[in-house]
Amino acid sequence: MNLYVLVLPIMIPILCGIGIMVFPVKDKKIRNILLELVVIINTILTLFILFNAPQGTLSLFSLGDKLVMTLRVDGLAAFFAGIVSCLWPLATLYAFEYMEHDERTDVFFGFYTITYGVTMGVALSGNIVTMYLFYEALTMVTLPLVIHTMTKEAKRATRKYLYYMIGGTAFAFMGMVFYVLFSHNMEFKYGGNLNIIALSSHIHVVHLVYLMAFFGFGVKAAIFPFHGWLPDASVAPTPVTALLHAVAVVKSGVFAIMRFTYYCFGAEVLKGSWAQRIALSFAMITIVYASTMGVKETHFKRRMAYSTVSNLSYILLGVTMMSPLGLLAGMSHMLFHAIMKISGFFCVGAVMHRAHKEYVYELDGIGLQMPKTMTAFVVSSCSIIGVPLFAGFVSKWKIAQSLFEGGGTLEYAAVFVLLYSALMTAIYLLTVAVRGFFPDSDALGKMAHDEEKASDPSWKMLLPLGIFSIAIVFIGLKAEPILTVLKTVANGVF
Amino acid sequence: MRIIIPDICALGLSFEIGGFRLLFAIIATYMWFMTTLFSKEYMSHAGKKGRYYFFLAITYVATTALFLSGDLYTTFIFFEIMSVASYVCVIHDENELTLRAGGVYLAVAVIGGLVSLMGIFLLHHMFGTLTFEELKPLCEALLKSGDADAIRTLFIAGGCILFGYGAKAGMFPLHIWLPMAHPVAPAPASALLSGIITKTGIFGLLVLSVYVFPGNGQWGFIIVMLGVVTMLLGGILAIFSVDIKRTLACSSMSQLGMIIVGIGMMDLLGEENTLAARGTVMHMVNHACLKLVLFMAAGVIVMNLHKLNLNEIRGYGRKKPFLKLVFLSGSLGIAGIPFFNGYISKTLLHESIVEYIEVLSEQGSSNEALFRVIEWLFLITGAMTLAYMTKLFICVFVEKNVDADLQAEYDEGKPYCTPLTKFVLAITAFVMPVFGVLSKITIDIIGDMGQGFLGAKELEHQVNYFSLENLKGGLISILLGALIYLVFIRRVLLRNEDGREVYADIWPKKLDLLTLFYEPVIMVILPAVIGFICRCLDFALDGVILFLRQTTHKQVFKKEPIPAKFFMAHILGSLMNRISSVASFFMGEKVHRKKNYVLVLAGKKTLMDQTTKMVSASSAFSLMMFAIGIIAVVVYILVV
Repeated sequence: MNLYVLVLPIMIPILCGIGIMVFPVKDKKIRNILLELVVIINTILTLFILFNAPQGTLSLFSLGDKLVMTLRVDGLAAFFAGIVSCLWPLATLYAFEYMEHDERTDVFFGFYTITYGVTMGVALSGNIVTMYLFYEALTMVTLPLVIHTMTKEAKRATRKYLYYMIGGTAFAFMGMVFYVLFSHNMEFKYGGNLNIIALSSHIHVVHLVYLMAFFGFGVKAAIFPFHGWLPDASVAPTPVTALLHAVAVVKSGVFAIMRFTYYCFGAEVLKGSWAQRIALSFAMITIVYASTMGVKETHFKRRMAYSTVSNLSYILLGVTMMSPLGLLAGMSHMLFHAIMKISGFFCVGAVMHRAHKEYVYELDGIGLQMPKTMTAFVVSSCSIIGVPLFAGFVSKWKIAQSLFEGGGTLEYAAVFVLLYSALMTAIYLLTVAVRGFFPDSDALGKMAHDEEKASDPSWKMLLPLGIFSIAIVFIGLKAEPILTVLKTVANGVF
Repeated sequence: MRIIIPDICALGLSFEIGGFRLLFAIIATYMWFMTTLFSKEYMSHAGKKGRYYFFLAITYVATTALFLSGDLYTTFIFFEIMSVASYVCVIHDENELTLRAGGVYLAVAVIGGLVSLMGIFLLHHMFGTLTFEELKPLCEALLKSGDADAIRTLFIAGGCILFGYGAKAGMFPLHIWLPMAHPVAPAPASALLSGIITKTGIFGLLVLSVYVFPGNGQWGFIIVMLGVVTMLLGGILAIFSVDIKRTLACSSMSQLGMIIVGIGMMDLLGEENTLAARGTVMHMVNHACLKLVLFMAAGVIVMNLHKLNLNEIRGYGRKKPFLKLVFLSGSLGIAGIPFFNGYISKTLLHESIVEYIEVLSEQGSSNEALFRVIEWLFLITGAMTLAYMTKLFICVFVEKNVDADLQAEYDEGKPYCTPLTKFVLAITAFVMPVFGVLSKITIDIIGDMGQGFLGAKELEHQVNYFSLENLKGGLISILLGALIYLVFIRRVLLRNEDGREVYADIWPKKLDLLTLFYEPVIMVILPAVIGFICRCLDFALDGVILFLRQTTHKQVFKKEPIPAKFFMAHILGSLMNRISSVASFFMGEKVHRKKNYVLVLAGKKTLMDQTTKMVSASSAFSLMMFAIGIIAVVVYILVV
């Protein structure tokens, strides 16, 4: 296959997004159908490309000397691109119903679709400079989405988002420059590409720079203390929070860390170093922090945002083990978390959209009004907690396995952190579910007096929820095929 | 027989059939069959029957699968399914009390599940397998190796798993859910909860003691101690209780404590553990059968009266000989009266303690005195069982209610249950004397079936349950029990209030592990402390940014008179004003200046300036960060 097809999954959504904004279609229904068609075509195309991965690297253009923009499909790229492309059509479908009463939907859907292309760019980039470019672009194209409601909080959240992102990329930039200067070539290569012989007398500097890059890219992965933007950004419309802040943006951060750790610096260089221990401890702190804050938070969507923060650090726990098993654990949790969190956020969105309720204490008895939505919520909650038979359990098991394999005191402590977090997650998610389905008599009485009764949303929202729930249970029962594929990636075979 | 389903649920599931597993699968089936028949009448007026039967069925499948599981992982998976599914059955009534009790039940199940998962992680990491048969030799070798670190890890793993399963088995200090959940659940669900679901916890303990710590004295000692506390506390709580189902629930706790003691004795006795193993299995089976009939009999009362308090239901059974007989059979069984089933298993458990005392005295160990105390505590627990069962029986079936009208109503002789229910009660109650009298062809076979799983050797010679020596223990218990009943219950608990004799509830409400310890710790202290730290940390980065904004990056706003400053706006604006006035003049309209273009343009300019300022301020900030980064890199490159 011609290598130039790699440009298509990136350019089609970007052009389509610009097209919507420049030439708005009057009839929203036709626009929606067209948009969904483009997104589905792009997804099919992407999957087709991924399954017939073209060998070799596509050089687009050069920014001078070493800085060549390249695209390539390798295991990790295919993995991330696969997740994104599978989730996007469903999220777009969901967004149609969620945004039906909003204004300025052309701009919204325009940027929403552009983001698809940019995220694919992050996934498919063949070297660190290309990834950095798309990574920055991702911040920029998601800004209009976060600020969409134009309320005061949205503006404040957007400003915060921008500060954090730019600050983070400044750190990441340092790491990138270092890597560009001291690597054999810039290509991503499993096991690292660093000219370690030249650096052998400055190994501590290597570790320091790695940490800088870790925290720099970690801003998007919401690692403590750079997590503040994520809960605030949940003022954005739910499709945005769900897809961008549970899948695209935050997972780009994690993806970048994976790339940087395993494909640039190389796990062997970092294993057992102080940099690894610091990275690991910050991931642990993040988990404890976020899962505790999740319990304290009463705003439903912010609560889910905190849950995202803690789950992202689960992935980082795996990644910072600097072992193939750790990468496997991280990748599997990245995949499963994408599915279960998007499902969770969609349930929250459906509740906000249909019942206009935002705080958890208002949600007593919601399960009786919106049984299908809340059933999907229970499924995703169980999975996020890590109840067996659901997808989340499989990846948590893998993470714990990789931690035990690491074997140090810190790793054992991390297992306890996992446990603590699972407990807190159970508290902050199950209370909602339990009170939603089994309200006490006060709430029941209040519900009887309620004038307008909420009901389940239409198929546009329920279809994604149904698919996600089935996927969660199915993966929970039979994760082995997926894990086998991921294993080849994590061992650097593909 | 072994069935393995690989590659499912991450690690694959495996099942085994035979012996102990088969026995408990049969017991579970028997219990579910009976309770489902009983549910037909009991639930006839309840709502949401579909949900109830659905989750009842799921609980059944999970429980049976749990008993058939061939590795700890499979056990754990079905343990969790069972916990969650049974929760829905427990809270069926959905009132406040139920929901609270259900909440505690679910919390204990979830926390216990998580902690035991941690232990299972550890075990899997240590040995790479979780299959019972494979674990046993590996653990034995490790315990014998004397590697202190590894043994400590093994104990941590064991402790974690014990936490999860012990919670389900009502073991102290995790018994809190037991006295809460049983009284509020529908009677058939209580019967199952008490009879068989708690046994799944015991199953976990058995696996730990037999396969992970085979013959380990230290472990056995811990288990025995926990069992002793559990059985005593359960007995004491039951004596004080004035609620029929709560009494039965506390009684369950006490009996489970006895079983746990038996499990501990198995490890302590090592090779010679046949008596303890048989006693444990038999008491598990007996207790399941006993609680089935007792909770269903209590259920008949609740179904008719919707009351649980002993003072209110007092005298209900006076003129109901059938119910009286059924309850009597259960009471005698659980109280360990000879010729009823409870006697046999309790005797064996007692014998196992005596046997260990003999071993200790041969060794001249200092622990001998301690185990003599334990022996007596065991007998006292048996005595307490007799005392509270007598209390229940006399209260409900012998005494008259203080309210004479109510008593007359109770004695009317209305039909109180359908023939089907009577049939179920009769069958389940019939088991007690049959097991007790025809022990050779019933309960001994059960012992034979069960002991293989517990790693016990064949019995050398048949135990004569009615030998003088064995009767002695039983008789001591009976005498002590009568004493407790006559002295403590009749004299202390039966009080005169307003000229009426009532059973007083003198157990202080505040003395409750849940409200005293768990709730404050889990709901208040833990989140508060960590939450406080988190909030402090939360402002760390934002604080730095805020500080910078207030100091080095302070934004300056100047106020200037508008027209003077904006030169272009002035000129353009006046020009446009002229043009518009001229135009309106030529158009033949009245000279009426609608807009002052100077002000309009000035306004636009201000807006533009402000926007630019904001943008430059924020990107200046970002650029600043950027610059710091580049400078650092440059400095680094120069230095290195």
